[in-house]
Amino acid sequence: MKSLFNRSFTSATQAHLMRIVSIACVVFVIFLSSCSTSSLTQRGIPLGEESSPPPHYSMVFVIHGDGDYGFHDPLGNVHRADEEALMRAKRVAMQNPQAEVFIFHEKPRKHTLLFFPRRDGKFYYYRQGRMMVTESYWRDQGPSRFDTEVKLYNQFHAAEQPQPVRVFLYFGHEIPEYDGAGYDASYSHRTFTVRDLAEELKRITPDSTKFDLIVLSTCFNGTPHTIAALAPYARTIVASPDNLHLSYFDLQPFEQLDARLHDGDIAGFAKNFALQSFDRLTEDIQTAVTVAVYDVDRVQGFLHAVDSTYNHTLTALKGQKPGSVGHCDCAEDSAYALPGISEGVDVFYRPPRFGRSKHKLNHSGWECRRLSK
Amino acid sequence: MLARTVFGVVVMMFVLIQAGFAGGKDDIQKYFNDTASKVKATTDPAEKRAILDKSLQTMSKALDKVQKSPLISKEDRAGIDQFKATLKENQDELTGSNGFERVPDAQLNAFSEYVVQNMEQADKTITISLVTALLIVIIIILLV
Repeated sequence: MKSLFNRSFTSATQAHLMRIVSIACVVFVIFLSSCSTSSLTQRGIPLGEESSPPPHYSMVFVIHGDGDYGFHDPLGNVHRADEEALMRAKRVAMQNPQAEVFIFHEKPRKHTLLFFPRRDGKFYYYRQGRMMVTESYWRDQGPSRFDTEVKLYNQFHAAEQPQPVRVFLYFGHEIPEYDGAGYDASYSHRTFTVRDLAEELKRITPDSTKFDLIVLSTCFNGTPHTIAALAPYARTIVASPDNLHLSYFDLQPFEQLDARLHDGDIAGFAKNFALQSFDRLTEDIQTAVTVAVYDVDRVQGFLHAVDSTYNHTLTALKGQKPGSVGHCDCAEDSAYALPGISEGVDVFYRPPRFGRSKHKLNHSGWECRRLSK
Repeated sequence: MLARTVFGVVVMMFVLIQAGFAGGKDDIQKYFNDTASKVKATTDPAEKRAILDKSLQTMSKALDKVQKSPLISKEDRAGIDQFKATLKENQDELTGSNGFERVPDAQLNAFSEYVVQNMEQADKTITISLVTALLIVIIIILLV
């Protein structure tokens, strides 16, 4: 009886030990995979095997999702702005067989089983309307910020001639013009400013060819400082000088670009895109809706005229508490209300339906900063 | 038995931590969204106005209580001040005080949506830590 007990005890102990070892192995594998610096790449079609013609369009989407991007629609349904922007970007990629499309989704830091960090970036590359590459990667933690994205862009970018129409789209919260700490919810000490974005654009335009169109689907980036910072890399910029609801600009005009851009009129396309976004936003949004299109060459006069004033303001605002810095239409500040303020800017504006600004009838298309009273 | 209990506690910890990460600000947004749903669900303008008024007042009270808590940092107190200022403007517009035109009865549904969107946008610029957001949510639950 005792021997039978000993045997069953020993076998139970062995089974228990085996279970522990198995669990330890699984945890170890998770640990190794989470610590690996290499990327997790999947290819739909091996690059090089496809004999595709050179792309007519090259589009880069950067979708920031490391923050609070939840919002409700008028029916009360909850949405995640970054996930929806990603879905729409993928639809654009699939609807444009003549394009190469890069999509970078910057995700929040998450852990498996609380301890094992997961990759916080996801890259998608499309050609001929099909996804060629999908890759999880570690976002750059160094000062360059976009190092990994730039490497991936350079790795897959089709450098064939003739140059395609180039479009860059950024989706996220307001890109700070100074300080920039706390932009990523997961990395509170990291900073991100307009200068960082401009640096990224510089690194993916090595031959000084400008993007034909840059779209900033963010709040409050239609400012003299932001447009001036991105001006060396763009011919036309679409941005919102005021709040922009998280449902973002409407990407539908980017689907089937061949049909919409057959005349090559990018500036005209940008205005149609801005108008369509404005129309869609005003259907559902009760707060202000402002979409501006900047002709980069034509706004240079105004930018040069207000450059030092704006920089002086930014310097004065550094170190102020976030709550004490407000926004205003530049036209309401005599230092910016210059005769050339409207030159090169097309503005689609509707005031908020409620609140103090509901009777404000116009917007100059330029937003400025000031200390709140 | 002990192993099961420990396993249960660990699973509970995962769930609570995940819920904590997802909660906070999302719950504050949900609070205003629920208010808008209640406003739209009724046809009586007086009732709509009462629902909005009570909702804004409850949030103001919760913010007052949280602001007095010793657990709150100086930065979060400043964030709560901004939050309160935005709420106060909404309250003033609802009642037509402090220079605001009173929201017409026919526009109360739209105003409830405006409050949701305005708060969601304010939420992006107002800095409140997760702990403070969770405290606000807990106090709202206690007040409602």
